[in-house]
Amino acid sequence: MAVPGLSGTQAAILAAYAELIEEIGSDDVSNRVIARRAGIAERTVFRNYPTRVDLLLATAAWLEATVFAREESHSIFDIPLVIREAMQRYDARPELAHVVAETAMRGVNGATPSPGRAQLERLLDGEVPSLDAAKRRAVIAALSHLDSVGTWVTFRREFGMDRRDIADAAAWAAEAVLDSIRDRVAP
Amino acid sequence: MEEPVDTATAILASAAVLLRERTFDDISYRVLADEVGISERTIYRQYPTRAHLLAALSNWIEQTRFPLPPFVTVSDFRAAVHERFRAFDASPAYAYVGARASAISPTLDTEPAYITRAIEAMLEVGAPTLNRRDRRRVAASLRYFSSAMFWARLRTGFDLDAGEICDAFDHAIDTVLAKLPDATWAKP
Repeated sequence: MAVPGLSGTQAAILAAYAELIEEIGSDDVSNRVIARRAGIAERTVFRNYPTRVDLLLATAAWLEATVFAREESHSIFDIPLVIREAMQRYDARPELAHVVAETAMRGVNGATPSPGRAQLERLLDGEVPSLDAAKRRAVIAALSHLDSVGTWVTFRREFGMDRRDIADAAAWAAEAVLDSIRDRVAP
Repeated sequence: MEEPVDTATAILASAAVLLRERTFDDISYRVLADEVGISERTIYRQYPTRAHLLAALSNWIEQTRFPLPPFVTVSDFRAAVHERFRAFDASPAYAYVGARASAISPTLDTEPAYITRAIEAMLEVGAPTLNRRDRRRVAASLRYFSSAMFWARLRTGFDLDAGEICDAFDHAIDTVLAKLPDATWAKP
């Protein structure tokens, strides 16, 4: 599960941290414990991730690229299927899903709340190029929002939904968003 | 708010003041204790973990800064959410705390937010014959598009202002509501 831009040491740190989060049930794990699990010196953790926020941001990005990775889509109309699968993956790893969710909502600290945006834009522009700017933005924003761990957290927490119901409702909402452009594909 | 308040609330009020100049992550219990004029231990007794503090702070901000206008119809709901997004834009630091608190694993009170109940009630009255699964799908979608998370994602990830976020919200809920046949809605 190699992720571009990460050294082997960094990947080992993030994997060790993720493992510990699941075992302990909290992201409150000391660098000493992370270092021991990764088999490296504590100062190596500090050198790579000077603050806890740095470590959390890197961990969330790594989780999205590995444990929660989406299968590649070839059409914007595949996105509901992708969302359905993503919700099932989040539900299988709730502790890690919460870490990704909270990290994405840190606001000003360089969190990337919509990592899939560029891909959605590419797909939409290729298939439905006739949308005006406002409509295009609205579709991308709605799908980005639904294709995120926030959906899983909110549906579970606010509505007590289980895995099936979350996957169903999230995919349903994405289909609703696509209804408005379903028949506007470029010939 | 010059009334004497209990310790738990005093801690939240001070944390809210500190949020004007630093992020939640930079508000240590030490700094907070100095600000309130109590011991760090007292804060730990009220809020054993930072997740407890975050959840309580978010609830308090929600009640004092972002009270939700009541709504019964979909158009009232729409107006209430617009007002909320504009209030978020005016106090982004507070709104980010709300977005973040709604993403954490629930600490004590797992009660759904007031807005969730209000949306469910709106649909019960407005669409009484709608089957349960579709009602939950609609409620969950409306809830999620009206959330602080939606505002935060569009502000941070898309660089949109409140007006543009309201437009994106309107578009999203229109697509969701369009799933329901016209006859679904109770005639007033």
